[in-house]
Amino acid sequence: MPTDTLHSTFAALADPTRRAILVRLASGGEASVKELAEPFEMTLPAVSKHLKVLERAGLISRGRVAQSRPCRLEAGPLREVADWVEQYRRFWEQSFDRLDDYLHELRRGENEDGEQ
Amino acid sequence: MANNSDPNTEPPKQELIITRVFDAPRELVFKAWTEPEHVVRWWGPKGYTTPFCTIDLRPGGIMYHCMRSPEGREVWTKGVFREIVVPERIVLTDSFADAEGNVVSPSHYGMSPDWPLETLLTVTFDEHAGKKTKVTIRHAGIPSGADRDGAQQGWLETADRLAEHLAEA
Repeated sequence: MPTDTLHSTFAALADPTRRAILVRLASGGEASVKELAEPFEMTLPAVSKHLKVLERAGLISRGRVAQSRPCRLEAGPLREVADWVEQYRRFWEQSFDRLDDYLHELRRGENEDGEQ
Repeated sequence: MANNSDPNTEPPKQELIITRVFDAPRELVFKAWTEPEHVVRWWGPKGYTTPFCTIDLRPGGIMYHCMRSPEGREVWTKGVFREIVVPERIVLTDSFADAEGNVVSPSHYGMSPDWPLETLLTVTFDEHAGKKTKVTIRHAGIPSGADRDGAQQGWLETADRLAEHLAEA
């Protein structure tokens, strides 16, 4: 069990080319290195390097077909990021609900103290 | 394949962003965020209480507090103010802590040990439609050991996009 999944996920997502590759795989399914390289002005070895980072982070897997080794998106590490985001989103939404109530309470108090 | 917009041409959304408009003047909302006697009344999810809170509102000053869950479980957090513009903006770090004030790993509280040790919180207070206030929270994860300015760039945007894919999978 890797102990730094989220860290390596963050690191892998820090690069715009790698993010674009993931988005491409999410919307279009499996793709070869050549297909993934097309939208970028990059050499195949440069793209392969990015794919290695993504593969090491567990964000993609590669097929066994010797020539093309098609790439596929792996959802696991992304779920961890989504969990992290979701946890904080919930925290803030609920805190905001309470802040809203509290501000109303404060303003009611002000009005009762005789202010307009 | 669908002709999606090119992710490289869109400005990356760097953080978790949450906004809410409150029906109260900006000075009051800012106070509610920065004075302990106010903060303890609303901070934390539904059902939580805040039995302890100190705020040293100056750059380098510390915000340290304890939340207690409905089941009585305590979660301490600690942050350092990076920037304060009264009553417009505060920027502070946010970490889990113990009751002695030491920063601890998120795993201390049963979260994944892979979660960032420290996050960065930017809270802006904008006057909105007269006497209302729009609060915007930007919450960014800071991967340990990474460059603070560039580290979180765009990761959330991708997570958001791919979350759609996860929902379908």
